[in-house]
Amino acid sequence: MNPTALPATLAALLPLAAGGGGGGGGGHSLPFVGPGTYLIFGIVLAPVYLMVVAWYVGEPSDRSKAWLGVGYLVGLTTVLWGSLFVATMAIDVLFF
Amino acid sequence: MSVDTSDVSRETLVRPIGQLSKQYLALMAAALGAIGIWAFFYLQQLQHGLIVTNLADWGSGGGVPWGLYIGAFIWWVGIAHGGIILSAAVRLLGMDRYQPVARLAELLTIAALTCAGLFILIHVGRPDRLVTSVLPAWPTRVQWSPLMWDVTVITAYFVLTATYLLLTIRYDIHRLRDRLPHQLEPVYAVLMLGYSEREDAIVERMVWWIAFAIIIMAPLLLHGGVIPWLFALLPSMAGWAGGVQGPSFLSIALTSAVSGIIIVAAAFRRAYGWEELIPVEVFQGLGKWLGFFGLIFLWLQLQQVITGIFAAPTTLQHATEVKIATPLYWVAIGLVLLAMLYVFACSLRPSLFRIPVLVALSFGVLVGTLVEKVLFVVEGLQHAHFQLYDGVPGVYVPSPVELSALLGTVGIVVLFFLVVSKVIPVVELHAIESAHEEVDDA
Repeated sequence: MNPTALPATLAALLPLAAGGGGGGGGGHSLPFVGPGTYLIFGIVLAPVYLMVVAWYVGEPSDRSKAWLGVGYLVGLTTVLWGSLFVATMAIDVLFF
Repeated sequence: MSVDTSDVSRETLVRPIGQLSKQYLALMAAALGAIGIWAFFYLQQLQHGLIVTNLADWGSGGGVPWGLYIGAFIWWVGIAHGGIILSAAVRLLGMDRYQPVARLAELLTIAALTCAGLFILIHVGRPDRLVTSVLPAWPTRVQWSPLMWDVTVITAYFVLTATYLLLTIRYDIHRLRDRLPHQLEPVYAVLMLGYSEREDAIVERMVWWIAFAIIIMAPLLLHGGVIPWLFALLPSMAGWAGGVQGPSFLSIALTSAVSGIIIVAAAFRRAYGWEELIPVEVFQGLGKWLGFFGLIFLWLQLQQVITGIFAAPTTLQHATEVKIATPLYWVAIGLVLLAMLYVFACSLRPSLFRIPVLVALSFGVLVGTLVEKVLFVVEGLQHAHFQLYDGVPGVYVPSPVELSALLGTVGIVVLFFLVVSKVIPVVELHAIESAHEEVDDA
């Protein structure tokens, strides 16, 4: 690992400690650049990335089964939020 | 240590699919009734808004805009996390004794996580807000908002659990297909897309990695992380911030999840004569885990009480004093303590052990953990580190609308198990195959 990488990561997390939390982004206005983004996508979800990589590499593995797994992950996420979107839009029309 | 279930036949596994009893129909009617009662009240909330729950603003219920809805959210999500932790531990740590209840735990996770999501949906008032406010704001707010982290990781977690189930079910359906109902053949055809026996070892390795991801994410990052961070980022509420909340939330999750698994496993065992499939040793083992997690739960409560009254910041001290003066809090503690003492007594004198007693105490633990979570939410709000809401009249009492949602979600979980048990085997074939070795299809 690059010796400067760790301090850089810590620097990215520092705004959390600086109380920027509720304060409107500390200058970050584009998606995927704030410390919360690092926290969730860099730390919390890291085991998921490792899992998907492990599906494709190592033995025994099979590309089609790995794609089946990825298909489940992507498909279920889409179904979950897609159906919620449709259902809530229907409620919006029916009740409001 | 594993228990010997190798003499159990495959017919035993598919017994729930083939049988239809009066008790089954009665339970289904009760579950639908519970959901119906909730639907009736929920329609009122949709028509009139959150005002029907007293959670709509600061002007009612003693300044408590979050109540049973959020308490029940944490409770359900805790049951969900603990359930899959047990299932993943079976695979990762080789805890074969619990193989007969592993899939029941996975199913409990999916059902409980759905209910947790529903409580968020209910609590935002108009359900379309979840989509219209969360989806457009998600890309930018995920940087700062614990609510967005919550939505992100719970989605990921639900998807992981469902993927886990969808991949493991293929092995069982292939070998039990001739015993499964022909009417559901299209469902099985979709589930078995591209199946060949060659994939078994590959899929086994893939689900090991899912279990690995789950066992790191669920205890360390979700219920021991993101969910308590959700509260910790609102430090103006006394008792919500602090490093002890992560472990505390986790201990409550594990305690309630083991209770839930004990109840579900005992219900299936009784309904389908599964004494050999889910032997008493499984319940003795689950009981010991319940006692152990209960001990940690009680210790972390002691931590919070002592650090809250011994030279604590003034508002935290006041909030803690109110908490320990609340009889309901001690009811919650007492219910967990009772279960723990029974388990420890059984360790000393095994003849005391009875499954019905353990089930009854597990119900008590579920009530206790729910009460603790609701008090945590409500009392945090009532004892904020500012006086802005001191003049808000009233006290918080869960409204019939909120209570009906609790009833409805319990109905949803019961209905889920009733329906799923008619479609797939709710106990893995591995449970009756010694040391995971495949047996002849004969």
